[in-house]
Amino acid sequence: MDERIAALREALYALDDVAALSITTELIDGGAEPQRVLQEGLAEAMLETGRRWNAGDVFLPEVVAAAEIFKRCNEIVEPALIAAGGRTLGHKIVMATVKGDLHDLGKSMVGAMMKTAGFEVHDLGKDVPTEKIVEAVREMHPRIVGLSSLLTTTVPEQRNVIRALQEAGLRRSVKVMVGGAPVTEEWATEIGADGFAPNAPEAVKVALELAGDEPKAGAA
Amino acid sequence: MTSSQAGAIREHAASPRVRGLPLANRIDILTETAIERIHEGALRVLDRVGIEVRSDRVIAKLERAGARADHDAGRVRFPREVVEAALAQVPATLLLAARDPACDLMLDGSRGYLTVDGNAAEILDLETNERRASTKADLAQVTRVADALPQIGFLWQPVTARDEPIDVQPLHEIATEFANSSKHIQLMTAAKPEQARGAVEIARIVAGGERELRERPVLSAFQCSLSPLTYDGQPLEAAAVYGEAGVPCGFVAMPIACATAPATPAAALVVSNAEVLAGIVSLQLLVPGARTFYGACGTVMDLRTGAAACGGPEDLLFQMASAQLARRYGMPSSIGTFATGAKSADWQAGVENGLSGMASWLGGADMLCGAGLLYGARVYSIAELVLDTELFDLVCHLAGGVPVTDEDLALEVIEAVGPGGHFLAQPHTLRNMRRMWQPRVFGRETWEDWEAAGRPEPRDLARERARKILAEHEPIPLADGIEDDIRGVIAAYASD
Repeated sequence: MDERIAALREALYALDDVAALSITTELIDGGAEPQRVLQEGLAEAMLETGRRWNAGDVFLPEVVAAAEIFKRCNEIVEPALIAAGGRTLGHKIVMATVKGDLHDLGKSMVGAMMKTAGFEVHDLGKDVPTEKIVEAVREMHPRIVGLSSLLTTTVPEQRNVIRALQEAGLRRSVKVMVGGAPVTEEWATEIGADGFAPNAPEAVKVALELAGDEPKAGAA
Repeated sequence: MTSSQAGAIREHAASPRVRGLPLANRIDILTETAIERIHEGALRVLDRVGIEVRSDRVIAKLERAGARADHDAGRVRFPREVVEAALAQVPATLLLAARDPACDLMLDGSRGYLTVDGNAAEILDLETNERRASTKADLAQVTRVADALPQIGFLWQPVTARDEPIDVQPLHEIATEFANSSKHIQLMTAAKPEQARGAVEIARIVAGGERELRERPVLSAFQCSLSPLTYDGQPLEAAAVYGEAGVPCGFVAMPIACATAPATPAAALVVSNAEVLAGIVSLQLLVPGARTFYGACGTVMDLRTGAAACGGPEDLLFQMASAQLARRYGMPSSIGTFATGAKSADWQAGVENGLSGMASWLGGADMLCGAGLLYGARVYSIAELVLDTELFDLVCHLAGGVPVTDEDLALEVIEAVGPGGHFLAQPHTLRNMRRMWQPRVFGRETWEDWEAAGRPEPRDLARERARKILAEHEPIPLADGIEDDIRGVIAAYASD
């Protein structure tokens, strides 16, 4: 089985979605421990992808492609994992592009890079109403919530989300990160966010600091 | 193509040892009328004014071969028929062979190649960043860095080995370069026939014999005119030594408008063209069919100080016009490129050399000469060498143009992603993104990272890269015994 898990990692490095999905299915159907498939296969491949990005051997589009394959494979693993009562990955992070903003890309890059650091990423998508973000924080208990806006006109929504979290009594339970082209350190401070980063790789560093330590794949 | 094939593209991107500049999309800066007027002007100068040759022996030889000689005035004149017949003998393409055949350069108009610039007497010390006299050790160091940089196609002698005796300095220089690089070497400093004979002997040792050198010339050379319209006798005799050995020997004019050439670009081009043609025609008269090339490296005089300016827009015009003239005569061009007047690798150096690289590309230069000099070709800088190769790399990418195959147009991909999606993780993106140009010393980091790193300039990154190359790169060594044999040759010429 170790061999097949290694093959799964290789499929992710090669960005071969067909192979990755078929090996994942084969492992789960063959009775492999879902926790091992997730930790030693998928999550370890993302961590290694992150190391390769750091070394300059891998570019951002490849990280995003790997993250998309990760997501599709994880959909196969998850039901088995829940059935087995297994744990999930590292710290949870909920991400969203705020209401009124249709720009998905920056957030997707950040989400992909977060996976390379072992975060369990829940992407709520784009044009996400404030109430939906608050609800996700209440239900999922993420360590971090990441808010993205690309437009100067939607940036104020980030402040609205933080206020809504305060009003819901959830602000203390979660760290808020903000990002997007018009967002600055000053803005982040002004609206009371906990973190800001100018690009996806920086966002990972900030998230790791906010999470308190460097989460390993599979750490609760 | 499936997404798994994207990985294969990555393997494919292994870098070649030498990168050439695609010469598609070049432009003719001179109109047909203009180039013919400059050509006719040069023919008239060669026929009516002629050139001064400072050697009775060479004048006598040229006279026997068809030139008109005025022995009292030391003047040689070339009638139109003599010039045209001589030019018709020049081979149109030129092989610059290398010790490592992977570094062979074929000059046939399809690609241009960059050399390290040369003959500086001073160098910016890589560690102290101070200017000082250059040594043979510096030459070895620059050569090793150049050997590793794929943008460098062949080698001039970047700095002179000032710690060796002058008469055999050129021999020490090529010996040092052969030992530290397996790329083609173009000797710029052997202007005496004795030195040329020594250089040919060394090249024969490296190539494996007389016939081998003729078939695969691992050495080439060039001689310079003394503007205006003068040649020393010895460089012409040296050129004949090379020609007889099958070693390509070009002629390079280095006119300075307002000083050694007239003030207007057209007139400077007439003088420069006449000088280069006089050298080439002389060589053809001495050694019919000899391999040669057309070289020009013109600039203007700085009107305030009287020094060579190096780097202004007139230089760019000379580059493009000279390359076009070489094409008109059907021979490869060697074009002065990247010789900024700046004293450091700064904004001026970046602008002047960036535009200069563009001009040599647009002009269609076969040899771009060359990378790494500052201060109007007087001080060598290894950081500048690395920066110039980055510029060359950028221009190479630009010269690639906009391909429009089905894969390049990617209409299916546009349709599949549709409005509002993104192309980030598309297999098409993954397999094509590595065709995008990647900077090595241009800063693309965030402001925060840049500050955290101490606000580095590209030249700082270039120095770091040079240090890394010096720590890691091992040139292909010469076969056992070769260096001893070369030392023997140098000793023999030194004792003469």
